[in-house]
Amino acid sequence: MADNNVSSAPIKYDHNFAQEFFSTENGRLAQKCMQCGMCAVSCATKDLMDHSPRRLFNLVRAGKKDEVLGSNTMWMCTSCCTCKVRCPRGIPLVDVMHDLKNMAIAQNYVSYPQAAFYQAFWQEVLNRGRAFEGGVMARYYLKRGWGEIKKAFEMKDLGMSMLKHGRLPMVPPRKIKGLKELQQIIEKAQALQRKEAK
Amino acid sequence: MAKKVGVYICKGCGIGEALDVDALAKVASKEYKAPVVKTCDVLCAPEGIELIKQDLAGEGVNLVVIAGCSARVNYDHFDFGPEILVERVNLREQVVWTQPPDDEDTQMMAEDYMRMTLAKTKNLELPEPFIGENLSKAILVVGGGLAGMTAALEAANAGHQVILVEKESALGGWLNKVYKIAPLAAPFTELQDPDVEARVQAINDNPRIKVYTGATIASTAGAPGMFDVTINTAGGEVTERVGAIVLATGARPYDPEKLGHLGYGQFADVITQAQLEELVKAEGKVVRPSSKEEAVKVAFIQCAGSRDPEHLPYCSAACCVESIKQALYVKEQNPEAAVYVFYKDIRSSGQYEHFYKQAQMQGVVFVKADVESIEEGEGGKLAVNAQDLMMGAPTLLDEVDVVVLANGMVPSTLVDENLPPEEQTRILNLKYRQGPELPTLKYGFPDSHFICFPYETRRTGIYAAGSVRRPMDMLQAVEDATGAALKAIQCVEMTARGMAVHPRSGDLSFPEFMMSRCTQCKRCTEECPFGAINEDEKANPLPNPTRCRRCGTCMGACPERIISFKNYSVPMIGNMVKAIEVPEEDEEKPRVLIFACENDAIPALDMAGINRLNYSKWVRIIPVRCLGSLNLVWVNDAMSKGIDGVLLLGCKHGDDYQCHFMKGSELAGIRLSKVSETLDRLGLESERVQMEEVSIMDYDKIPGIIERFIEKIEEFGPNPMKGF
Ligand code: SF4
Ligand code: SF4
Ligand code: SF4
Ligand code: SF4
Repeated sequence: MADNNVSSAPIKYDHNFAQEFFSTENGRLAQKCMQCGMCAVSCATKDLMDHSPRRLFNLVRAGKKDEVLGSNTMWMCTSCCTCKVRCPRGIPLVDVMHDLKNMAIAQNYVSYPQAAFYQAFWQEVLNRGRAFEGGVMARYYLKRGWGEIKKAFEMKDLGMSMLKHGRLPMVPPRKIKGLKELQQIIEKAQALQRKEAK
Repeated sequence: MAKKVGVYICKGCGIGEALDVDALAKVASKEYKAPVVKTCDVLCAPEGIELIKQDLAGEGVNLVVIAGCSARVNYDHFDFGPEILVERVNLREQVVWTQPPDDEDTQMMAEDYMRMTLAKTKNLELPEPFIGENLSKAILVVGGGLAGMTAALEAANAGHQVILVEKESALGGWLNKVYKIAPLAAPFTELQDPDVEARVQAINDNPRIKVYTGATIASTAGAPGMFDVTINTAGGEVTERVGAIVLATGARPYDPEKLGHLGYGQFADVITQAQLEELVKAEGKVVRPSSKEEAVKVAFIQCAGSRDPEHLPYCSAACCVESIKQALYVKEQNPEAAVYVFYKDIRSSGQYEHFYKQAQMQGVVFVKADVESIEEGEGGKLAVNAQDLMMGAPTLLDEVDVVVLANGMVPSTLVDENLPPEEQTRILNLKYRQGPELPTLKYGFPDSHFICFPYETRRTGIYAAGSVRRPMDMLQAVEDATGAALKAIQCVEMTARGMAVHPRSGDLSFPEFMMSRCTQCKRCTEECPFGAINEDEKANPLPNPTRCRRCGTCMGACPERIISFKNYSVPMIGNMVKAIEVPEEDEEKPRVLIFACENDAIPALDMAGINRLNYSKWVRIIPVRCLGSLNLVWVNDAMSKGIDGVLLLGCKHGDDYQCHFMKGSELAGIRLSKVSETLDRLGLESERVQMEEVSIMDYDKIPGIIERFIEKIEEFGPNPMKGF
């Protein structure tokens, strides 16, 4: 439990970050956390996380911005919802994780591949109205750079096999009808989210 | 009263199959010459009841002996009105459900119980209730705070006259000292106005409530139904007669001067919860006491003095909720303000979970931590050093404007033992031989049976409510006051009928003293756990029957054996002991007598039967009102009769006692330590008499307890007094 900080100087509580996070749409609800640890014992990927959800919320409280936004916790979250259904305080942890991801991206805190994938996927949906695997891949590699493409080559057998079975279309699908409207819907949703957060 | 005994033996519930009922009937009719002896297939069925009723009317039977189930069941079926005595022989739970059927020893056991009960009836008389003179049903409430006002209103609304005494010049108590209160109603999230005016108005508007403010109790004499209370008022002394008393004098904050380690007294901006209330009331908002600037960073330190072996070892129970409330003051005036609560555990019990969540949602930060020190930082602001237990690391909160200590509470009944008696706090000034105030158990809170009778103090008719009873928040105090008012009402109503209050509620018997033989030894006056017996100048006991709870401790204590109840006395139990048939030594059938307390041990024994647990066939059980009523002469009787061992089963004693009469089992233990003398005189091993603690849940342990005791007795061999 004692490994949140490295230096022996006392951790200073910083109210600003706590306030910043608690004013996001779902982060607000994480204020109710009573540190019971139910989420931590429920989470299947907790062992891969830098901090369990419980500890992450405690770090938020203490105002440890770098630790929180730089942590892999939200990226390791598989959105399985186990913690959300078990949290005695009814905190929608999965949604809190989404807010944390947004915040980490917006404030340039991330280099996790998952983050690049999220962004690639979204860009694709925003531009086309549907996900095209080839497009997502291209965007992902562009973000991640050459090292990642090398890795992709190692997976070429799998790719070929998928191609053969028609699981990986070569040609991009058509953009959906009414893409404009979809984009408007998304924009509106984002505006609402920002408003909720206030 | 000429007694005519009718014995009715039930054959139901397996009794008929396991026992020779006719032989049992003969014990009653031949040995004890009972004029009416009948058997019945199912005695509690309408036919059975009818059978008895016919004899009551036709035969003039007025003492009914029911041989069947335990006295703890079906008592309503076998209630034939106040003129008919009823005794029970427990053949079901104590014999056929614990012993093998159709067995010589089982039959002997059943016959012994029949003999014992019939022997008891020899001296049995119909209790006549004690009705005091000039009884009052009015209720005195001491303390005009939230609990006191609630108790007064509840009792008055139930139709009783109420006298409310408050030492301050106005009603309201703690409510007068606070800016807002924690919510008392759903949704338990909003701060509430203390609303003293409306509460006081309700009291003043109630024609049944008479209020004395600026008044204290000069003395309380008398007994339930007949308390004469002298009140010191601004206009001189007045005396009121009341039937029962609710003590609702609350608590006071723990002395913060003792909290120097948390910066109190050292820094002006370290204050107590009460001081914060004062400050907000005066300034309209939370400010730094030193500069009167609005506070934007506030730290609350929970358990300041509480849950601390150096200070108050207990949880003060209300300070978590109070700090949550005060944290919300800060958030209300400035949502951006930083508020930190350093806690051990948040104990916002019951509905206050919602209040806690509300504070969290308003941005109050709760930190589970051990606060290590408070220091002065830059600009005269404070810094809190703590060990954050969730982070597992030292932490620092700096630039704090105000530090608020949740300094807990001590009961108003706490007496400073270091002061000379005349300077000690006195509230009730009881004219009781056993001292002027309520006996306390620990930490100055009035002693009460915490599990079963929380409101009843050790002075019958005086009920403690609110934070004087134990630390509690306002919501609990309201509930407590309502409960205590109900208890006070029960007390005056029962007293008016000559009945005991808890735990023997409804009991009409009371101890009678054959004064001509009293030696003024003072044992009874000293040992009565409830201070029921006063004394005159010559040390003659002066019993107060309405203070009495009918435990029989005085009866057990009296070396002259001059105290008895109409239906419970030293000779009655002595006769039961003597009625046991003790087989000759060569028959190798030892006998062990068990005196079992009716409150827990007897139910546990019954439950052993209900669960068909088998225990030794050598035991004979006699129920007693409380082990405190054990008179050593019974042990003597048993030993000289040739009984091989005596086992006492009673409630746990000590600080976390379960004894329903609080001191009874403890006193029995003390008496027992003296019994060895007697046994030595008889040339017997003192371990032949032993005491064991059992609670109602221990029924499964009963066979083992008995078994172990019998093994021990068998080691000693048979009682050499057999056959003498
Ligand atoms: S389960 Fe909920 S309340 Fe408990 S630690 Fe996790 S987030 Fe906090
Ligand atoms: S939703 Fe995420 S954080 Fe919660 S249990 Fe599942 S993987 Fe763990
Ligand atoms: S109520 Fe809270 S602050 Fe008060 S003693 Fe109990 S745990 Fe400590
Ligand atoms: S010892 Fe028990 S029975 Fe005797 S006077 Fe006191 S309360 Fe009554």
